[in-house]
Amino acid sequence: MGLLAPGFLAAFALLGLPLWLHLLKRHKSIPLEFSSLMLFERHAISSVKSRKLDYLILLALRLAVLALLALAFAQPFLERQGAAAGSGAVRLFVIDVSASMNAGDRLERARKDALQAIGAMKSGERGQVAYFDRQLHLVTQPVADPEALRAAVRAARAGDERSSYGELSKALRGYATTTKAPVEAHLFSDMQRSALPDGFSELSLGATTKLVLHKAGSRAEANFTVENVQAPRRLQDPAKARMEAIVAGFANDAATVPISLVVNGRVAATKPVAVPAKGKAKVEFIGLDVPYGWSRCEVRVEARDALAADDNFYFAVERSDPRKILFLYGPRAQRSVLYFQSALGAAAEAAFTVEAQSSSLAPQINPAAIAFVVLSDPGELNPGLEAALQAYVKGGGAVWIALGTSSSALRKVPVSGEAVKGSRFANRSGDRFFTLASADENYPSMRRANRWEGVRFFQTVSADPGEAKVVARLNDGTPILYEKRIGEGRVLVFASDFDNTASDFPLHASFVPFVEQTSRYLAGEEERAPLLAAGTAYELRAADARVSSVEVIAPDGSRALSLEESARVPAVIVEKRGFYEVNRGAGRQELVPVNIDRRESNLELIPEESLALWQGSGSEGAPGTAAAEEAETALRRQNFGLGFLWAALALAVVESLWSSRHLTMTKETA
Amino acid sequence: MEQRFLDPKVLAGLGNLALTARTVVDGFISGLHRSPDFGFSQEFAEYRPYSLGDDLRYVDWNVFARTERAYLKRYRGETNTRLTILLDRSRSMGFQRGGVRKIDYARMAAASVAYLGHHQRDAVGVITFDDEVRDFVAPSSRHGQLPRVLHALERSEPGARTDFARPFHYFQEFLRWRGVVLVVSDFYAPPVDIVKTIAPLRHRGNDVILFHVLDPEEIEPKLGEPRLLVDMETGEQLEVAPEYAADFYQKRMAAHIAELKKEAEAAGLSYQLLQTDRPLDEALREYLIVRQGRL
Repeated sequence: MGLLAPGFLAAFALLGLPLWLHLLKRHKSIPLEFSSLMLFERHAISSVKSRKLDYLILLALRLAVLALLALAFAQPFLERQGAAAGSGAVRLFVIDVSASMNAGDRLERARKDALQAIGAMKSGERGQVAYFDRQLHLVTQPVADPEALRAAVRAARAGDERSSYGELSKALRGYATTTKAPVEAHLFSDMQRSALPDGFSELSLGATTKLVLHKAGSRAEANFTVENVQAPRRLQDPAKARMEAIVAGFANDAATVPISLVVNGRVAATKPVAVPAKGKAKVEFIGLDVPYGWSRCEVRVEARDALAADDNFYFAVERSDPRKILFLYGPRAQRSVLYFQSALGAAAEAAFTVEAQSSSLAPQINPAAIAFVVLSDPGELNPGLEAALQAYVKGGGAVWIALGTSSSALRKVPVSGEAVKGSRFANRSGDRFFTLASADENYPSMRRANRWEGVRFFQTVSADPGEAKVVARLNDGTPILYEKRIGEGRVLVFASDFDNTASDFPLHASFVPFVEQTSRYLAGEEERAPLLAAGTAYELRAADARVSSVEVIAPDGSRALSLEESARVPAVIVEKRGFYEVNRGAGRQELVPVNIDRRESNLELIPEESLALWQGSGSEGAPGTAAAEEAETALRRQNFGLGFLWAALALAVVESLWSSRHLTMTKETA
Repeated sequence: MEQRFLDPKVLAGLGNLALTARTVVDGFISGLHRSPDFGFSQEFAEYRPYSLGDDLRYVDWNVFARTERAYLKRYRGETNTRLTILLDRSRSMGFQRGGVRKIDYARMAAASVAYLGHHQRDAVGVITFDDEVRDFVAPSSRHGQLPRVLHALERSEPGARTDFARPFHYFQEFLRWRGVVLVVSDFYAPPVDIVKTIAPLRHRGNDVILFHVLDPEEIEPKLGEPRLLVDMETGEQLEVAPEYAADFYQKRMAAHIAELKKEAEAAGLSYQLLQTDRPLDEALREYLIVRQGRL
């Protein structure tokens, strides 16, 4: 036990004060003559012995309060058992397992250095092994068994995820707080510069953490990678498919690099690409010979370089026949089929066919067989059909509703349920027609539609969009186009019809891209191939969606989700590069390509100065320096000052209560 | 105005018991004269031939002018009676806290009553006692009796312990005449025993008055701190806590006074508590009530 501020023990001299006061007030038995003691009893209360005891107790309480106060300020402490210098510290061996560690012999060097460091541990010292890529993974418990640590080191394998020193530093700060012991963190990494955070302050370590860096990479080797590929996700005509790839070089000299297009494991084409020194180049492939269904494609660097893991860029393409649009028309909207089909037929790519039926026929909805459903001025829907459409939308389907004259009398919009306010007639306004006033230009339906220049609406059906997203409004404020998400799917409402009765839209050129882009959007063909990096999250369902299970198969064929997770989780972390199969049920399947984060491709090292700054952000200097020992000592010592202070406070309260009893009696006596 | 003459401290400062008694009585009577409701009778009763030594103030000079003989007027209430004052002069009567000593107060009260009685032509006597009879002046109304009585009172200083039994046994044998017996004491004995000892005096046809003289500090002692109390008569010592004195003792004292009063009155004795910080008129008033009742 020791005292942090022994000078305060001088306050013990104050103990003389209550002693002196009590001596002064000590009862002196001065005889006093009294006429007769006949009426006095030899009673405990009449005796002063109880008062003597009270005085002694009061004296003891006051002495104790002063003594505790003096001790509290002197800050006594106890050393924790077994806390010799440095013996309480934990050695944490952190091995970088990010994708860049696949380059050359970096991982091998890291393992070797880690094994050496474990061998240097003293007997009884505790150590722990962790891997890190985008976050820290503790592999072992803090143990004093070097063999267990060595086994964990030998088992380290480089993955596909990127590294983040910012996340590592944050994890080390949390680790030190949890451990409540000094931490000596040994980092075995290639010290990749691209893994540094944006702000250097994110690298700061706690005062009790000492960082020892072991560089597994000695220089920035030349490396080539396919940085990105633009390719259609779905196509109907393989010959017309166009892929554009960006090839980047790091620490390289200018070189011509062969780049291959690989389809389902077969090289479909190879082209030489001149990549400038530390620059980028573009390569294009036309035509993609793929079978129907999903195909696994990649653009690959054929040259040998430092890091092979980033030589492939995976993408998936689904070939299908033109998809069927189920067009259900109301009793007065039969002409809308003609305009709709004509617009689709005039589109550059024939991606859809239209199957038109009267909405009164209540056809079966087969989600796997149709791209989406169009309801053209359907009027009052058959309840069974409406329920089937709602189920279809919730399951991920899309319905495009055009509100015409038959719909103006409805109380609510079919399928989506918004309240219908009635028709609005432009002939009652000044211009006798409505025009587009505002629109979301980024919405697929509005792209290349020239803002519906010159389009005139004579009659619209006004509905209350509620929480739906309004895409476009007319000049009278009527939402002319809005989208509502229901479950996994969506409903798009067009507050006019597709023929030239309520508007002259079908007569304008902008009608074609409007119909084509909207159709592609609703069919899901607007989606570009997702650019997922290993270690990121892929959304499976909307947060509030209650749909059936989603099965996810990892590139190695294993299930990425448990049964419970497949029914519940909104997203899955794609840890490995390759293709993930996502089965959503009802025949809906897709391939999700996952690539290594291209930041791992740049093998440039962190400058020495930066490394030195990073190391210095923890406990300063090597073990044995004053600051490090001071920090370690502070952790080892258990300070009781606050406890003594509380005890003094408690006794002071007791003393107050006890002495007030005597004060009351003294007042009564007086 | 009257109170100035009756304040015990002031009276004690006079230092002359005779003067003190006279001051008290004159002041008391002058107050009585101005109080028509008091009931003190000044009604003329008879003439009595003047004897040498009688107070010339009571000579009826009209009669002397007519008859050249001196006669004293006698009034109602002036019927002679015997007043015997029994004064406790035990050591406990020497107690004093700030005011006057109990013995001094008792002497002043006794002297005043004696003076008043003598003023009314009563035969006054005094017996002082502690555990024995210490002084005795037989009741008489002769010339020079009052100074003898006052002298006996003056030389009464606190002596030995209180013991009612032996003196009062003697009194029972000795007091063969009927009259008023005034017992002045602090009565530190069980009330039952006191009354049992004194009551026989009543049975012999005497009117007995008990003057219970106590210092206020005896009734409500104020001990600021624990004190070692020493019994003035026995020398016994007892350490007493202020809380006890403030609570239990006061209750016991009040109970003792109440019991003594109750026992006394039950036995036909008059009882008056005299606190040494109170004027002496209460003592005189009590004597007159008893004497008036006797007439």
